[in-house]
Amino acid sequence: MKKKLVSLVLASSMVLSLAACGAQSTETAPADTQTAETAQTTDATATEAPAETAAETPAEPVGEQSINVCLASEPASLDPALNSAVDGATLINHLFSGLAKWGLDASGNLELQPDCAEELVEGVTNEDGTVTYTYTLRDGLTWSDGQPVTANDFVFAWNRAIAPETAADYGYMFEVVDGYADGKLNVNAVDDKTLEVTLANTVAYWDELLAFPTYMPVREDVVANEAWATDPSTYVCNGAYTMTSWDHNSLITITKNENFYDADKITMNEINFYLSDDANNQLANFENGDWQMIDDVPTNEIATLKETYPDEFVTAGQLGTYYVCWNINENILPASNTLTGADKAAAENEVRNALALLIDRNYIVNDVAQGGQVPASSFVAMGLTDADGSQFYENAGGNSFAGYYDVSEDAYEANWGAAIETLKKYYTFDEATQQFTDFPTLTYLYNTSEGHKAIAEAIQATFAGIGITMNLENQEWATFLDTRKAGNYSIARNGWLGDYNDPISFLDMWTTQSGNNDVQFGKGDNAKVQAYSLDITDLGYETKVENGTWSETYDVLISDIKTCTDVKTRYELMHRAEDLLMSTGCICPIYYYTDLYMISNNVQGFFSSPLGYKYFMYCTITG
Amino acid sequence: MNTKTLMYIVKRILLAIVTVWVVITVTFFVMHAVPGGPFIGEKAVSESVMKAMEAKYGLDKPLGVQYLTYLSDVVTKFDFGPSLKQKGRSVNDIIFDGMKTSAKLGLIAALIALASGVVLGSIAALRRNKLIDRIIMIITTAFVSMPSFIMGSLLLIAFAINLKWFPANGASKNGLVLPVLTLSLYPMAYITRLTRSSMLEVLGQDYIRTAKAKGVSGMKIIFGHALKNSLIPVITYFGPMLAGIVTGSLVVEQIFAVPGIGRAFVNSITGRDYPLIMGTTIVLATLIVIMNLVGDIMYKVVDPRITLE
Repeated sequence: MKKKLVSLVLASSMVLSLAACGAQSTETAPADTQTAETAQTTDATATEAPAETAAETPAEPVGEQSINVCLASEPASLDPALNSAVDGATLINHLFSGLAKWGLDASGNLELQPDCAEELVEGVTNEDGTVTYTYTLRDGLTWSDGQPVTANDFVFAWNRAIAPETAADYGYMFEVVDGYADGKLNVNAVDDKTLEVTLANTVAYWDELLAFPTYMPVREDVVANEAWATDPSTYVCNGAYTMTSWDHNSLITITKNENFYDADKITMNEINFYLSDDANNQLANFENGDWQMIDDVPTNEIATLKETYPDEFVTAGQLGTYYVCWNINENILPASNTLTGADKAAAENEVRNALALLIDRNYIVNDVAQGGQVPASSFVAMGLTDADGSQFYENAGGNSFAGYYDVSEDAYEANWGAAIETLKKYYTFDEATQQFTDFPTLTYLYNTSEGHKAIAEAIQATFAGIGITMNLENQEWATFLDTRKAGNYSIARNGWLGDYNDPISFLDMWTTQSGNNDVQFGKGDNAKVQAYSLDITDLGYETKVENGTWSETYDVLISDIKTCTDVKTRYELMHRAEDLLMSTGCICPIYYYTDLYMISNNVQGFFSSPLGYKYFMYCTITG
Repeated sequence: MNTKTLMYIVKRILLAIVTVWVVITVTFFVMHAVPGGPFIGEKAVSESVMKAMEAKYGLDKPLGVQYLTYLSDVVTKFDFGPSLKQKGRSVNDIIFDGMKTSAKLGLIAALIALASGVVLGSIAALRRNKLIDRIIMIITTAFVSMPSFIMGSLLLIAFAINLKWFPANGASKNGLVLPVLTLSLYPMAYITRLTRSSMLEVLGQDYIRTAKAKGVSGMKIIFGHALKNSLIPVITYFGPMLAGIVTGSLVVEQIFAVPGIGRAFVNSITGRDYPLIMGTTIVLATLIVIMNLVGDIMYKVVDPRITLE
């Protein structure tokens, strides 16, 4: 263990020394969606799933309650509107109080609870299909400087979040509110304690949104100072804690707010958020007992940590998919190919889907990634629910197994055979060597990180087994994002975490004009390819397209989903959208993400959510 | 100090300013030429948000205009602009915060290296080829040949994880002990070896023999003549040593999570935080240029035989 740690620390330091020479550090870079650049997610499945709790027999709390934790490095912003990171969201959840919050019910399951609102009311549907909610704020709510919290603070905060000059990454979280498109939300303060908000149509995940950090109130005179959220003296908040010190890039200390309406239930007096993004350094501090919770672990150490700390190493669910994406405009047929247009597109779809079957996801999950991930067979991640509350991914694809391929270990041999048969239709196969001889050379692009590299190598080895040469190319994070977005690649690693528990957050990113359309659907050569079909007449729509372009089919389908008010139809449309997406083979899911962290056995009352948010307010430290 | 020396110093200062200007210019254009930007992430932000942010930070203007604006802000107002990543904070603040920690770290490390290096080096020279000399030489050889990231990692594992004497995090109480140690070991070993060889050389000089022949006491020879003259190479090493500590701290601050300017520098590059990249580069480059300049001038001051041209 020690020897391994030495080599690990050495290896990462060597990488860092390169960074010092002006190059890129790998371990500290936001190497994947699980780390720094991670977007927020909200999720309602959590209401069904038991929360991750440090379950130990409760012992007596000792001394003044204070906990040392480390989530990540310096948060980019602790302004609720500007924050777009998971670690920032955790801090904001402790410092601010919105209309709703996540909490545990009596049996320890996550549920949405009213926070500033007295209760989470049902909406009233208006004649024009819009839905109005009227919330009453609790009595005696105050800001940390003593002023009362009013309904107007919410009105101001929400409109501020969508204003272009605020430049909030998560402004679109208000897309569901009436008036969003016009830049003025249909939300009003009827009086100081009554807030009225109107949604464009019924939104299943509305209560979740109310608990989302972007929906927290802020006060106009406070945020007028642009630097308000960078210093404890100007940081006025309304939550369970107040910020008592912020030593930039090193430590944020928050202290229990005795004036908080629910202060009786808050057991942790002080939380020290240490700011470090170095997984090895985090682990060193956890191992020597200084920190009780760390949110990142070195990838190479996972196997050892699972053995050494069976109770303290935690693998929790998360709403995201790790996948490989193809550039749809990349030619993958042999040089001898004569197919064009829709025929060529169909052949390429078939080839990509066959290659997806070759990948041994169980091997990648168990022997490479080793973080308790689940082999993925669909793009919409595990954990997102369907219309009837069941798992969306289990119903996807219309097969006897969950998703679009059977990723069980037993099915791998059959998958392999089927894939080879398909590929034989388009490529020359040498029976003697069991290799394809005319498959064009591929290049796999990933961002510099040991974890991504290992997965790339596993896929490379698989393809090499049948004569497909795939070169690996790594780029530093920001360069990688630029390259992938611009479509200057043939195959690239990718990952996505949903914003809320609705499959649309995985699907609307693939429309032609979306900024996340890394596959380049409907762009470049693909813009004119008429190879996609859509028929939703059975669901009461007039759309029936045979051999249309991407924008004539997928884009139309997504806009139909966004305006659909019938829940069942809407989910069926979303399944159709994923069917169309997956038929291209451009998305090759590898696994569903998990959230890894370590928490000391001395901590009781901790919980986290699949969105990656951590809750320390109800914790106690025992001796 | 004669006019010739003064002229030389003025010339060197002007050259230093030109050097820093070249660094600014090259960094500015190379930084913008590198793919990726400060506002892109795994999730794309909407076009309007991107435009609003670019307008807010003046990134929508032509590069030449941005360059001139930047240069004039730095020269006339000493304003490095706002950070693009740490929203609401100015680069000046971030650098000031980082420098407080880094300067403390670097200066303590330099003093420790200097003091212990000279003492150990003298002892080794005076006890030449004795056991103590051998021990000192073996240890310093090890320290000189071990890069700081290996030294840092070893100290971390030994003293923070196993013995738990000091924290592994630079922000904690006593957290700077291990980083200071890591930074000081290399220059300490270097100074020890420098002092030893230079002291041996001096001890073999005629004037030392003369002093001995005249019956001057051993102590007086060592402190009055030998040590003073043998420190000349050590003093000239002082500039490069401080520069080395500055660059060494980039690695050490990362290993121990010390909130210094080195870590800010590395993170600013990863995040394409343009103003912070510029600010930290300018500060670090200026520091290194000044250190080397001071080293050269000191060389002249302690050794009158050297002429500065």
